[in-house]
Amino acid sequence: MKILVTAKRVPDPEQKVKIKDGALDLSGANFIVNPFDEYAVEAALRLTEKVEGATTRCGEVTVLGIGPKDMSQQLRSCLAMGADRALLVEGSDEGLDSEQVARVIVAVYQRERPDLLLLGKQTVDGESNQVAQLVAGYLGLPQACFACTIEASADGKSVVVGREVDGGTETKRLPLPAVVTVDLRSVLPQSVRNQQTPATHAYPEGPRYASLKGIMASKKKPLDSLDLATLGVTATPRLKLLSLEAPPQRQAGVKVESVDALIDKLRHEAKVI
Amino acid sequence: MAPFTIDLRELKFTLFEQIEIQRLLEHEPFRELARDDLDMILDEACKLAREVFAPAGVAGDREGCTFEGGKVRVPPSYHEPFRRYCEAQWLALNHSPEWGGQGAPRCLRTAVDDMFFGANIGLNLGMLLTPGAAHLIEAFGDEALKQIYLRRMYSGEWGGTMCLTEPHAGSDVGSVSTKAIREGDQFRLEGEKIFITYGDHDLTENIVHCVLARIEGAPKGTKGLSLFAVPKYRVEADGSLGAFNNVVCTNIEHKLGIHGSPTCTLNFGGSGPCLGALIGGEHQGMPAMFQLMNDARLAVGLQGVALANAAYQAALGYARERLQGPDVERFKDPEAPRVPIVRHPDIRLSLMRQKAYAEGCRALVLYTAYCMDVARCAPTVEEREEHAALVELLTPICKAYGSDMGFRVTEWALQTFGGYGYLRDYPAEQLLRDCKIASIYEGTNGIQAMDLVARKLPARGGANMLAVYKRVKAFIEAQREHVALGPAVAALEQATATWSEVNRALATAAMRKDWLMPLLHASPYLALCGDLLVSFMLLQQAEVAWRRLVALCAAAGVDPLDGAALRRLATSDDEVRFYDGKVKTARFFCASELPRLHARAAAITGADRSALEIVFNGE
Ligand SMILES: Cc1cc2nc3c(=O)[nH]c(=O)nc-3n(C[C@H](O)[C@H](O)[C@H](O)COP(=O)(O)OP(=O)(O)OC[C@H]3O[C@@H](n4cnc5c(N)ncnc54)[C@H](O)[C@@H]3O)c2cc1C
Repeated sequence: MKILVTAKRVPDPEQKVKIKDGALDLSGANFIVNPFDEYAVEAALRLTEKVEGATTRCGEVTVLGIGPKDMSQQLRSCLAMGADRALLVEGSDEGLDSEQVARVIVAVYQRERPDLLLLGKQTVDGESNQVAQLVAGYLGLPQACFACTIEASADGKSVVVGREVDGGTETKRLPLPAVVTVDLRSVLPQSVRNQQTPATHAYPEGPRYASLKGIMASKKKPLDSLDLATLGVTATPRLKLLSLEAPPQRQAGVKVESVDALIDKLRHEAKVI
Repeated sequence: MAPFTIDLRELKFTLFEQIEIQRLLEHEPFRELARDDLDMILDEACKLAREVFAPAGVAGDREGCTFEGGKVRVPPSYHEPFRRYCEAQWLALNHSPEWGGQGAPRCLRTAVDDMFFGANIGLNLGMLLTPGAAHLIEAFGDEALKQIYLRRMYSGEWGGTMCLTEPHAGSDVGSVSTKAIREGDQFRLEGEKIFITYGDHDLTENIVHCVLARIEGAPKGTKGLSLFAVPKYRVEADGSLGAFNNVVCTNIEHKLGIHGSPTCTLNFGGSGPCLGALIGGEHQGMPAMFQLMNDARLAVGLQGVALANAAYQAALGYARERLQGPDVERFKDPEAPRVPIVRHPDIRLSLMRQKAYAEGCRALVLYTAYCMDVARCAPTVEEREEHAALVELLTPICKAYGSDMGFRVTEWALQTFGGYGYLRDYPAEQLLRDCKIASIYEGTNGIQAMDLVARKLPARGGANMLAVYKRVKAFIEAQREHVALGPAVAALEQATATWSEVNRALATAAMRKDWLMPLLHASPYLALCGDLLVSFMLLQQAEVAWRRLVALCAAAGVDPLDGAALRRLATSDDEVRFYDGKVKTARFFCASELPRLHARAAAITGADRSALEIVFNGE
């Protein structure tokens, strides 16, 4: 199975966000691979590897990133996990909206023709949760978003996806090619399997850690750059950032003397009742 | 319990901005590595340490090791992290690619181990000993031994140990009485070793013991000791496991800390023949051990450093959250809001000391590891020799000062938690218990101090000491007029002058053949060297940090000498906070801790002998 996985770089959520002149200041930011995309890479690897004994793969994983040149570092970490090659479409971090990202992915899909397009369900910076849905729509492909389980069929022509929905999971069979986004539970020990994964096989929970050999091997794996012109993408953003400000500092609370005083404040100051 | 925190930013600052270990990558055998690779390796180690090692660190302390029916088991929670660590090839990160290692610099290994020890010292001790034992075989063993053992040990398939200690031979290794009796081209071993870390366990199917023993008829003392590779199960010609080799674990110790690390009594040859192969020449056991001793001692100093950093991070996290008492400025106002304890001056002072020693000792250990790499890979003989000289002098200081101050830091950190620090629910008490061992094994700190004054200081005609002196002096010369660090540099200069006086006093005593004076004051002398070197490390860091800070302030339109404005910027900008913190830590140390060095010096040069002369009750 040939899989194309997307990976965005996002500022490390553990760092303080800096805002300067009405925009995010990412100058000192430490970037990581968007966690949901990391889960997608993990799912792709599980779908394409023979886990016990054999060293050969049963498929190929290509990671696609859109961002500035030095994003190659995050792509390399995906290669170190085990992906086979990476593509970097050069662009900036800011100012790309879901529409443009989706158009780029569509263009790359058409060049690469993978059997499966795997994405994280959303990024942890923008949290738009729109890209996969747009891509599937533009390409006219079946989609299953928020996957918690994925299983490849024996003939390699479809996947069965368990989707997180309110109150349970919904199971869908998708003919390939298809678009799937993964949710948190896709990295549980037995949630993703290919035709050859033994029924008893359990992965360690979470996206895998790179081995030292993986890190060194990642230097030798192909990492190709593409630009928007070559891809023929001309989409303009549909979103405009009007302003950006940090949430106001929380004020210290006050103690009220009585229930009446509380109700009065809720009614007249907070205006919530 | 609060999650284990690693300040990776700090670690990388020390490696790449202060020491600049990337300079190593210009030389063989490190040319294959790029700066990016080092970053990735550190990032990956940090994840594994935090997410996999740390949870098992706490669990393993509770579960402990068991000894039932003659079988030693490590805590069940150790198995999964052990497997994942070995699978990802961390065990031989800095060992030779020829035998399956990754060939990375020693200082990178040290930084990585800083994180693994901090997360789980009980488990990481095993990760230290196996490649350590393999390295002995690699350095001194013959080809056949290497073929049998190296790949299996560097991959973690088989474990390794170091067996020196016996009931009557602790610090006094020369008293080792385990016998080696020639039997064909092998030797039969007979004797008992105690306190053997990972001497038996259920993580690997075989264990290779590096045993110091005396061949029949060999001279007494250290000169008669030889080193043997003694497997738990014999190895057949085709490499498969053969018969049990009669290495029997008869007991495991019940200890203050490192509960997950089995400390074993091993009987060799008591239940049947126990065969071993000579590593290196006959009676060459001690020279072999000596060559690798620096490595092991540095690793133990690192344990103190790692636990100190973990403890400081935990204390800081707690101090930010624990509300207690009003701000000092409103201490009479009962209506004043309760503030986090990090706002109280006494806590701030303690946190500052924790930070200064934890980070200063870390820098010293990493720098010494870097010197080991330079001593190996620098293009000129002079550079190699000079760095070897630095390693000689710095290693006992790293071992003893790193473990002693590391332990102090864990104690201060526990104090920061108040009563909660004394409870198992918080990490401080375990860090304190686990840390204590570092001042004891691998040569007690007292033995390190004697090694420093009696061996390392006078060695090479004083060249070891001069190599350090030259570097400190050059820094002082270059930075004397520093706008932000001037007074701190002056304090270092005074301290260096005092150090020189003490060195002269020790040399004079030695010339008069008064050996007792240097030995009596060996430990305070080592501590004095530690104070000096930590202030030097912190100042080097501060000097780099100041340059970065000036650039960041210029970009933000702030005058770095305007305290209030800088503080405001540091509250909103992590990078400014980080660099400003480095500058302030160095200033603090030079102003508040370094003066103690002069008191120590006065005590040494005063040469009071009361402690020698007193008759203790019952002596
Ligand atoms: C948890 C643990 C793990 C260990 N792991 C190992 C291991 O894997 N392999 C191994 O071989 N050993 C190991 N050891 C043993 C350890 O290295 C010894 O305990 C240590 O070397 C001290 O020896 P000792 O306990 O006999 O103390 P002693 O030598 O009796 O020392 C007692 C005190 O006297 C001082 N002293 C002794 N001789 C002198 C002297 N000549 N001058 C001045 N002061 C002196 C010492 O500094 C110490 O303070 C381990 C010990 C422990 C507790």
